[in-house]
Amino acid sequence: MSPTDQFTDLLNSRKTKVIQVDTFGQFQMRRDNVLLKEKEWGRDKSIQLFQFFLTSRNRRALHKEQIADRLWEDIAGKSIDQTFKVTLHGINKVLEPNRERRSDPKYVIRQGITYQLSIADMWVDADVFEQFIRIGNEQINQDEQLARQAYSSAIELYKGVYLPNRMYEDWSSAERERLQLLALGTMVTLAELLVEENPMESIRLSQQALQIDNTWEDAYRIQMNAYFKKGNRPMAIKTFKLCEKILDAEFGITPLPETKQLMQLIQSA
Amino acid sequence: MITKRAVMVIFLLEFVKTRRMASKKEETVSFVLRFTQKIFETDDGEQNVQWRGNVKHVQGDDEKRFTEFEDAVGFMQEKLTDLTIKGIEDKSPKEQKGILAKNFELWKKMTMESQKLVFDVIKDPKKQLAQMQTQVSQLGDTFTQQIEEKIGQKIDVDEWRASSKSDHKNLIDVIDKLSKDVARLHKKVDKIGKTKK
Repeated sequence: MSPTDQFTDLLNSRKTKVIQVDTFGQFQMRRDNVLLKEKEWGRDKSIQLFQFFLTSRNRRALHKEQIADRLWEDIAGKSIDQTFKVTLHGINKVLEPNRERRSDPKYVIRQGITYQLSIADMWVDADVFEQFIRIGNEQINQDEQLARQAYSSAIELYKGVYLPNRMYEDWSSAERERLQLLALGTMVTLAELLVEENPMESIRLSQQALQIDNTWEDAYRIQMNAYFKKGNRPMAIKTFKLCEKILDAEFGITPLPETKQLMQLIQSA
Repeated sequence: MITKRAVMVIFLLEFVKTRRMASKKEETVSFVLRFTQKIFETDDGEQNVQWRGNVKHVQGDDEKRFTEFEDAVGFMQEKLTDLTIKGIEDKSPKEQKGILAKNFELWKKMTMESQKLVFDVIKDPKKQLAQMQTQVSQLGDTFTQQIEEKIGQKIDVDEWRASSKSDHKNLIDVIDKLSKDVARLHKKVDKIGKTKK
Protein backbone atom coordinates (compact mmCIF):
# COMPACT_ATOMS: atom_id res chain seq x y z
CA MET A 1 0.00 0.00 0.00
CA SER A 2 1.36 3.43 -0.93
CA PRO A 3 1.98 6.01 1.83
CA THR A 4 -0.84 8.15 0.41
CA ASP A 5 -3.26 5.21 0.61
CA GLN A 6 -2.08 4.47 4.15
CA PHE A 7 -2.79 8.07 5.09
CA THR A 8 -6.23 8.08 3.46
CA ASP A 9 -7.17 4.80 5.14
CA LEU A 10 -6.09 6.14 8.50
CA LEU A 11 -8.01 9.34 7.94
CA ASN A 12 -11.20 7.38 7.29
CA SER A 13 -10.58 4.66 9.86
CA ARG A 14 -12.75 6.01 12.66
CA LYS A 15 -16.11 5.22 11.13
CA THR A 16 -15.02 1.72 10.14
CA LYS A 17 -14.54 0.58 13.75
CA VAL A 18 -17.25 -0.52 16.17
CA ILE A 19 -15.32 0.74 19.20
CA GLN A 20 -13.97 4.30 19.07
CA VAL A 21 -12.01 5.72 21.97
CA ASP A 22 -11.00 9.32 22.63
CA THR A 23 -8.33 9.84 25.25
CA PHE A 24 -7.10 13.37 24.49
CA GLY A 25 -8.74 16.19 26.44
CA GLN A 26 -11.55 14.00 27.69
CA PHE A 27 -12.13 10.26 27.87
CA GLN A 28 -15.01 9.15 25.70
CA MET A 29 -16.01 5.86 24.15
CA ARG A 30 -18.38 5.19 21.31
CA ARG A 31 -19.86 1.85 20.36
CA ASP A 32 -21.46 1.67 16.91
CA ASN A 33 -21.05 5.47 16.71
CA VAL A 34 -23.09 6.00 19.87
CA LEU A 35 -21.47 7.78 22.79
CA LEU A 36 -21.51 5.63 25.92
CA LYS A 37 -22.59 7.23 29.17
CA GLU A 38 -20.52 6.76 32.29
CA LYS A 39 -23.25 4.78 34.02
CA GLU A 40 -23.05 2.12 31.32
CA TRP A 41 -19.67 1.11 32.74
CA GLY A 42 -21.27 0.35 36.07
CA ARG A 43 -18.30 1.32 38.21
CA ASP A 44 -15.34 3.64 37.85
CA LYS A 45 -12.94 0.74 38.40
CA SER A 46 -13.98 -0.72 35.03
CA ILE A 47 -13.23 2.57 33.27
CA GLN A 48 -9.93 2.79 35.13
CA LEU A 49 -8.89 -0.77 34.19
CA PHE A 50 -9.85 -0.19 30.56
CA GLN A 51 -7.78 3.02 30.54
CA PHE A 52 -4.89 1.13 32.13
CA PHE A 53 -5.09 -1.50 29.37
CA LEU A 54 -5.11 1.30 26.78
CA THR A 55 -2.04 2.88 28.38
CA SER A 56 -0.24 -0.47 28.33
CA ARG A 57 -1.26 -1.20 24.72
CA ASN A 58 2.34 -1.25 23.44
CA ARG A 59 3.67 -3.41 26.25
CA ARG A 60 3.58 -7.10 26.95
CA ALA A 61 0.56 -8.73 28.56
CA LEU A 62 0.26 -8.22 32.29
CA HIS A 63 -0.57 -10.54 35.16
CA LYS A 64 -3.65 -9.51 37.13
CA GLU A 65 -1.57 -9.18 40.29
CA GLN A 66 0.72 -6.70 38.53
CA ILE A 67 -2.32 -4.77 37.33
CA ALA A 68 -3.91 -4.75 40.76
CA ASP A 69 -0.63 -3.61 42.32
CA ARG A 70 -0.55 -0.59 40.02
CA LEU A 71 -4.22 0.30 40.34
CA TRP A 72 -5.63 -0.91 43.64
CA GLU A 73 -2.92 -1.08 46.22
CA ASP A 74 -5.46 -1.12 49.02
CA ILE A 75 -6.81 -4.45 47.77
CA ALA A 76 -4.89 -7.62 48.64
CA GLY A 77 -5.12 -11.41 48.70
CA LYS A 78 -8.30 -13.08 47.53
CA SER A 79 -10.02 -9.73 47.08
CA ILE A 80 -7.78 -9.09 44.06
CA ASP A 81 -9.30 -12.05 42.18
CA GLN A 82 -12.82 -10.97 42.98
CA THR A 83 -12.25 -7.29 42.17
CA PHE A 84 -10.43 -8.13 38.94
CA LYS A 85 -13.15 -10.55 37.84
CA VAL A 86 -15.98 -8.10 38.45
CA THR A 87 -14.08 -5.18 36.91
CA LEU A 88 -13.09 -7.14 33.81
CA HIS A 89 -16.65 -8.35 33.41
CA GLY A 90 -17.70 -4.68 33.41
CA ILE A 91 -15.31 -3.92 30.55
CA ASN A 92 -16.34 -6.92 28.45
CA LYS A 93 -20.00 -6.05 28.95
CA VAL A 94 -19.44 -2.55 27.62
CA LEU A 95 -17.23 -3.59 24.71
CA GLU A 96 -19.28 -6.60 23.63
CA PRO A 97 -22.78 -6.49 25.12
CA ASN A 98 -24.05 -9.20 22.77
CA ARG A 99 -21.18 -11.64 23.14
CA GLU A 100 -22.31 -15.24 23.42
CA ARG A 101 -21.81 -16.88 26.79
CA ARG A 102 -18.58 -18.87 27.14
CA SER A 103 -17.13 -17.39 23.94
CA ASP A 104 -13.75 -15.65 24.16
CA PRO A 105 -13.76 -11.88 24.45
CA LYS A 106 -12.60 -10.11 21.30
CA TYR A 107 -10.81 -7.16 22.86
CA VAL A 108 -9.44 -8.13 26.25
CA ILE A 109 -7.26 -11.09 25.41
CA ARG A 110 -6.34 -13.59 28.07
CA GLN A 111 -3.12 -15.53 27.56
CA GLY A 112 -2.70 -18.01 30.38
CA ILE A 113 -2.55 -15.85 33.47
CA THR A 114 -1.92 -12.57 31.68
CA TYR A 115 -4.23 -10.02 30.06
CA GLN A 116 -3.83 -7.54 27.23
CA LEU A 117 -6.09 -5.25 25.25
CA SER A 118 -6.17 -5.85 21.51
CA ILE A 119 -6.73 -2.54 19.77
CA ALA A 120 -6.39 -3.85 16.20
CA ASP A 121 -10.17 -3.71 15.80
CA MET A 122 -10.61 -0.44 17.70
CA TRP A 123 -10.09 3.19 16.82
CA VAL A 124 -8.02 4.86 19.55
CA ASP A 125 -7.11 8.52 19.03
CA ALA A 126 -3.70 8.21 20.75
CA ASP A 127 -2.76 5.30 18.52
CA VAL A 128 -3.96 6.96 15.30
CA PHE A 129 -2.15 10.16 16.40
CA GLU A 130 1.14 8.26 16.53
CA GLN A 131 0.51 6.57 13.19
CA PHE A 132 -0.04 9.98 11.54
CA ILE A 133 3.25 11.21 13.01
CA ARG A 134 5.02 8.09 11.80
CA ILE A 135 3.75 8.71 8.24
CA GLY A 136 4.83 12.36 8.53
CA ASN A 137 8.33 11.43 9.69
CA GLU A 138 8.71 8.80 6.97
CA GLN A 139 7.55 11.16 4.21
CA ILE A 140 9.26 14.38 5.28
CA ASN A 141 12.07 13.89 2.72
CA GLN A 142 9.98 11.99 0.14
CA ASP A 143 6.66 13.79 -0.07
CA GLU A 144 6.58 16.95 2.03
CA GLN A 145 2.96 17.71 1.15
CA LEU A 146 1.85 14.33 2.50
CA ALA A 147 4.02 14.80 5.58
CA ARG A 148 2.33 18.14 6.27
CA GLN A 149 -1.12 16.59 5.93
CA ALA A 150 -0.15 13.75 8.26
CA TYR A 151 1.28 16.11 10.89
CA SER A 152 -1.77 18.32 10.61
CA SER A 153 -4.11 15.36 11.11
CA ALA A 154 -2.14 14.30 14.19
CA ILE A 155 -2.37 17.78 15.72
CA GLU A 156 -6.09 17.87 15.04
CA LEU A 157 -6.48 14.73 17.16
CA TYR A 158 -4.52 16.16 20.08
CA LYS A 159 -7.37 17.93 21.89
CA GLY A 160 -5.67 18.10 25.27
CA VAL A 161 -3.66 16.00 27.67
CA TYR A 162 -3.98 12.22 27.68
CA LEU A 163 -6.65 10.92 30.09
CA PRO A 164 -7.04 14.11 32.12
CA ASN A 165 -9.31 12.36 34.63
CA ARG A 166 -6.32 10.19 35.67
CA MET A 167 -3.95 13.13 36.08
CA TYR A 168 -3.14 12.23 39.68
CA GLU A 169 -2.66 8.50 39.06
CA ASP A 170 0.97 7.77 38.34
CA TRP A 171 0.43 4.80 36.01
CA SER A 172 -0.73 7.23 33.33
CA SER A 173 1.98 9.91 33.79
CA ALA A 174 4.72 8.57 31.53
CA GLU A 175 2.30 8.04 28.63
CA ARG A 176 0.78 11.51 29.13
CA GLU A 177 4.24 13.08 29.05
CA ARG A 178 5.38 11.04 26.04
CA LEU A 179 2.31 11.97 23.99
CA GLN A 180 2.52 15.62 24.98
CA LEU A 181 6.13 15.81 23.80
CA LEU A 182 5.15 14.16 20.53
CA ALA A 183 2.38 16.75 20.10
CA LEU A 184 4.73 19.65 20.90
CA GLY A 185 7.36 18.36 18.47
CA THR A 186 4.77 17.89 15.72
CA MET A 187 3.32 21.39 16.16
CA VAL A 188 6.76 22.99 16.01
CA THR A 189 7.87 20.88 13.02
CA LEU A 190 4.74 21.73 11.03
CA ALA A 191 4.96 25.39 12.04
CA GLU A 192 8.52 25.47 10.69
CA LEU A 193 7.51 23.78 7.43
CA LEU A 194 4.78 26.39 6.88
CA VAL A 195 6.75 29.57 7.69
CA GLU A 196 7.29 30.60 4.05
CA GLU A 197 4.08 29.37 2.51
CA ASN A 198 1.56 30.09 5.26
CA PRO A 199 3.02 32.28 8.04
CA MET A 200 -0.37 32.81 9.69
CA GLU A 201 -0.87 29.08 10.20
CA SER A 202 2.73 28.85 11.36
CA ILE A 203 2.00 31.51 14.00
CA ARG A 204 -1.15 29.70 15.10
CA LEU A 205 0.70 26.41 15.52
CA SER A 206 3.55 28.06 17.44
CA GLN A 207 1.04 29.65 19.77
CA GLN A 208 -0.67 26.30 20.25
CA ALA A 209 2.69 24.79 21.26
CA LEU A 210 3.36 27.68 23.65
CA GLN A 211 0.00 27.13 25.30
CA ILE A 212 1.23 23.68 26.23
CA ASP A 213 4.72 24.81 27.27
CA ASN A 214 5.41 28.54 27.39
CA THR A 215 9.19 27.97 27.57
CA TRP A 216 9.43 26.14 24.22
CA GLU A 217 11.99 28.47 22.65
CA ASP A 218 11.83 26.95 19.15
CA ALA A 219 8.17 27.97 18.99
CA TYR A 220 9.02 31.61 19.81
CA ARG A 221 11.70 31.65 17.13
CA ILE A 222 9.39 30.21 14.47
CA GLN A 223 6.71 32.71 15.45
CA MET A 224 9.21 35.60 15.17
CA ASN A 225 10.23 34.35 11.74
CA ALA A 226 6.62 34.02 10.60
CA TYR A 227 5.73 37.56 11.74
CA PHE A 228 8.85 38.82 10.00
CA LYS A 229 7.91 37.07 6.75
CA LYS A 230 4.50 38.70 6.97
CA GLY A 231 6.22 42.06 7.34
CA ASN A 232 5.01 42.52 10.91
CA ARG A 233 8.25 43.59 12.64
CA PRO A 234 6.60 44.95 15.80
CA MET A 235 4.95 41.60 16.56
CA ALA A 236 8.19 39.73 15.80
CA ILE A 237 10.03 41.97 18.30
CA LYS A 238 7.22 41.63 20.83
CA THR A 239 7.47 37.83 20.53
CA PHE A 240 11.19 37.97 21.27
CA LYS A 241 10.58 40.19 24.32
CA LEU A 242 8.01 37.73 25.61
CA CYS A 243 10.40 34.82 25.08
CA GLU A 244 13.14 36.71 26.95
CA LYS A 245 10.77 37.48 29.82
CA ILE A 246 9.44 33.94 30.16
CA LEU A 247 12.86 32.26 30.01
CA ASP A 248 14.15 34.65 32.64
CA ALA A 249 11.16 34.11 34.91
CA GLU A 250 11.05 30.32 34.56
CA PHE A 251 14.73 29.37 34.27
CA GLY A 252 16.72 32.52 34.95
CA ILE A 253 18.38 32.27 31.52
CA THR A 254 18.54 34.32 28.33
CA PRO A 255 17.41 33.10 24.88
CA LEU A 256 19.80 31.04 22.77
CA PRO A 257 22.27 32.85 20.46
CA GLU A 258 20.21 31.61 17.48
CA THR A 259 17.14 33.46 18.80
CA LYS A 260 19.14 36.60 19.60
CA GLN A 261 20.69 36.59 16.12
CA LEU A 262 17.25 36.38 14.56
CA MET A 263 16.17 39.32 16.70
CA GLN A 264 19.18 41.35 15.46
CA LEU A 265 18.33 40.45 11.88
CA ILE A 266 14.73 41.59 12.38
CA GLN A 267 15.79 44.84 14.04
CA SER A 268 18.32 45.68 11.38
CA ALA A 269 15.99 44.92 8.46
CA MET B 1 12.27 14.91 11.79
CA ILE B 2 10.47 15.87 14.94
CA THR B 3 12.53 17.02 17.94
CA LYS B 4 15.64 17.35 15.83
CA ARG B 5 17.12 20.07 18.01
CA ALA B 6 16.29 18.78 21.41
CA VAL B 7 17.12 15.56 23.13
CA MET B 8 14.41 14.91 25.63
CA VAL B 9 14.71 12.54 28.50
CA ILE B 10 11.68 11.58 30.54
CA PHE B 11 11.83 9.78 33.83
CA LEU B 12 9.07 8.68 36.07
CA LEU B 13 10.40 8.49 39.58
CA GLU B 14 8.23 6.92 42.17
CA PHE B 15 8.83 6.67 45.87
CA VAL B 16 6.52 4.26 47.61
CA LYS B 17 6.40 4.18 51.36
CA THR B 18 5.14 1.51 53.74
CA ARG B 19 2.32 -0.33 52.04
CA ARG B 20 0.42 -0.93 55.22
CA MET B 21 -0.34 2.76 55.48
CA ALA B 22 -3.77 4.08 54.49
CA SER B 23 -4.34 4.38 50.74
CA LYS B 24 -1.88 4.52 47.88
CA LYS B 25 -2.35 8.24 47.24
CA GLU B 26 -1.13 8.99 50.74
CA GLU B 27 1.97 6.84 50.52
CA THR B 28 3.28 7.40 47.04
CA VAL B 29 5.06 10.39 45.61
CA SER B 30 5.72 10.28 41.86
CA PHE B 31 7.63 12.71 39.70
CA VAL B 32 7.92 13.18 35.96
CA LEU B 33 11.26 14.69 34.99
CA ARG B 34 11.75 16.23 31.59
CA PHE B 35 15.15 17.32 30.29
CA THR B 36 15.58 19.29 27.09
CA GLN B 37 19.10 19.59 25.80
CA LYS B 38 20.22 22.65 23.84
CA ILE B 39 23.56 22.54 22.09
CA PHE B 40 24.68 25.88 20.73
CA GLU B 41 27.65 28.02 19.79
CA THR B 42 28.37 31.02 21.98
CA ASP B 43 29.20 34.46 20.61
CA ASP B 44 32.92 33.73 20.93
CA GLY B 45 32.58 30.54 18.89
CA GLU B 46 32.69 28.05 21.74
CA GLN B 47 30.42 25.01 21.75
CA ASN B 48 28.09 24.96 24.72
CA VAL B 49 25.36 22.75 26.12
CA GLN B 50 22.42 23.70 28.29
CA TRP B 51 19.88 21.52 30.03
CA ARG B 52 16.41 22.87 30.66
CA GLY B 53 14.38 20.76 32.97
CA ASN B 54 10.92 20.42 34.34
CA VAL B 55 9.91 18.29 37.29
CA LYS B 56 6.22 17.55 37.87
CA HIS B 57 4.74 16.25 41.10
CA VAL B 58 2.09 13.84 39.86
CA GLN B 59 -0.16 13.64 42.93
CA GLY B 60 -0.03 17.37 43.62
CA ASP B 61 -0.01 18.64 40.04
CA ASP B 62 2.60 21.31 40.82
CA GLU B 63 5.84 21.64 38.94
CA LYS B 64 9.19 23.37 38.90
CA ARG B 65 11.49 24.33 36.08
CA PHE B 66 15.23 24.15 36.53
CA THR B 67 18.58 24.40 34.84
CA GLU B 68 20.52 23.16 37.88
CA PHE B 69 19.68 19.59 38.83
CA GLU B 70 19.95 20.43 42.54
CA ASP B 71 16.78 22.50 42.17
CA ALA B 72 14.90 19.45 40.90
CA VAL B 73 16.26 17.32 43.72
CA GLY B 74 15.31 20.07 46.20
CA PHE B 75 11.76 20.09 44.85
CA MET B 76 11.50 16.30 45.16
CA GLN B 77 13.07 16.37 48.60
CA GLU B 78 10.49 18.89 49.75
CA LYS B 79 7.59 16.69 48.59
CA LEU B 80 9.04 13.51 50.01
CA THR B 81 9.93 15.16 53.30
CA ASP B 82 6.29 16.29 53.59
CA LEU B 83 5.29 12.66 53.25
CA THR B 84 7.93 11.50 55.73
CA ILE B 85 6.81 14.08 58.28
CA LYS B 86 3.25 12.83 57.96
CA GLY B 87 4.51 9.29 58.44
CA ILE B 88 6.49 9.88 61.65
CA GLU B 89 4.06 11.99 63.62
CA ASP B 90 3.49 9.23 66.16
CA LYS B 91 7.19 8.66 66.83
CA SER B 92 9.08 10.04 69.77
CA PRO B 93 11.13 13.21 69.13
CA LYS B 94 14.30 11.13 69.33
CA GLU B 95 13.04 8.66 66.71
CA GLN B 96 11.81 11.50 64.50
CA LYS B 97 15.22 13.13 64.71
CA GLY B 98 16.93 9.87 63.72
CA ILE B 99 14.62 9.28 60.77
CA LEU B 100 14.90 12.82 59.48
CA ALA B 101 18.69 12.77 59.83
CA LYS B 102 18.75 9.56 57.78
CA ASN B 103 16.42 11.24 55.28
CA PHE B 104 18.85 14.14 54.81
CA GLU B 105 21.82 11.76 54.46
CA LEU B 106 20.05 9.82 51.72
CA TRP B 107 19.11 12.96 49.85
CA LYS B 108 22.67 14.23 50.08
CA LYS B 109 23.89 10.97 48.53
CA MET B 110 21.20 11.08 45.89
CA THR B 111 22.03 14.68 44.94
CA MET B 112 25.69 13.82 44.41
CA GLU B 113 24.98 10.58 42.52
CA SER B 114 22.31 12.18 40.36
CA GLN B 115 24.63 14.98 39.26
CA LYS B 116 27.19 12.45 38.10
CA LEU B 117 24.49 10.56 36.20
CA VAL B 118 23.33 13.71 34.42
CA PHE B 119 26.89 14.55 33.40
CA ASP B 120 27.35 11.01 32.06
CA VAL B 121 24.23 11.39 29.94
CA ILE B 122 25.43 14.71 28.55
CA LYS B 123 28.67 13.03 27.44
CA ASP B 124 26.95 10.16 25.66
CA PRO B 125 23.14 10.39 25.75
CA LYS B 126 22.23 7.17 23.96
CA LYS B 127 24.70 4.94 25.74
CA GLN B 128 24.10 6.32 29.16
CA LEU B 129 20.35 6.79 29.14
CA ALA B 130 19.40 3.21 29.97
CA GLN B 131 22.12 3.07 32.62
CA MET B 132 20.93 6.33 34.14
CA GLN B 133 17.35 5.14 34.33
CA THR B 134 18.46 1.97 36.10
CA GLN B 135 20.67 3.86 38.53
CA VAL B 136 18.05 6.47 39.37
CA SER B 137 15.55 3.69 39.92
CA GLN B 138 17.99 1.86 42.20
CA LEU B 139 18.61 5.03 44.18
CA GLY B 140 14.88 5.45 44.62
CA ASP B 141 14.51 1.84 45.76
CA THR B 142 17.36 2.15 48.26
CA PHE B 143 15.88 5.33 49.59
CA THR B 144 12.42 3.83 49.93
CA GLN B 145 13.75 0.69 51.59
CA GLN B 146 15.78 2.60 54.15
CA ILE B 147 12.93 4.93 55.00
CA GLU B 148 10.65 1.92 55.40
CA GLU B 149 13.13 0.24 57.74
CA LYS B 150 13.42 3.39 59.80
CA ILE B 151 9.75 4.24 59.96
CA GLY B 152 8.62 0.73 60.79
CA GLN B 153 5.40 -0.86 59.76
CA LYS B 154 2.56 0.77 61.56
CA ILE B 155 1.81 4.42 61.25
CA ASP B 156 -1.26 5.77 62.97
CA VAL B 157 -2.45 8.42 60.56
CA ASP B 158 -5.46 9.36 62.71
CA GLU B 159 -3.20 10.19 65.60
CA TRP B 160 -1.16 12.43 63.35
CA ARG B 161 -4.31 14.19 62.19
CA ALA B 162 -5.18 14.89 65.82
CA SER B 163 -1.78 16.43 66.55
CA SER B 164 -1.70 19.93 67.95
CA LYS B 165 -0.16 23.08 66.53
CA SER B 166 2.58 22.89 69.15
CA ASP B 167 3.43 19.36 67.91
CA HIS B 168 3.84 20.77 64.43
CA LYS B 169 5.96 23.62 65.76
CA ASN B 170 8.17 21.16 67.65
CA LEU B 171 8.63 19.14 64.52
CA ILE B 172 9.54 22.20 62.47
CA ASP B 173 12.05 23.17 65.17
CA VAL B 174 13.58 19.67 64.99
CA ILE B 175 13.83 19.90 61.19
CA ASP B 176 15.35 23.36 61.44
CA LYS B 177 17.91 22.16 63.99
CA LEU B 178 18.70 19.13 61.83
CA SER B 179 19.23 21.29 58.76
CA LYS B 180 21.71 23.39 60.72
CA ASP B 181 23.44 20.25 62.02
CA VAL B 182 23.77 18.91 58.49
CA ALA B 183 25.20 22.26 57.31
CA ARG B 184 27.70 22.23 60.20
CA LEU B 185 28.67 18.64 59.33
CA HIS B 186 29.21 19.64 55.70
CA LYS B 187 31.60 22.35 56.81
CA LYS B 188 33.49 19.96 59.06
CA VAL B 189 33.82 17.38 56.28
CA ASP B 190 35.06 20.06 53.88
CA LYS B 191 37.56 21.27 56.46
CA ILE B 192 38.86 17.73 57.08
CA GLY B 193 39.14 17.22 53.32
CA LYS B 194 41.16 20.42 52.92
CA THR B 195 43.44 19.53 55.87
CA LYS B 196 44.22 16.15 54.31
CA LYS B 197 45.26 17.79 51.05
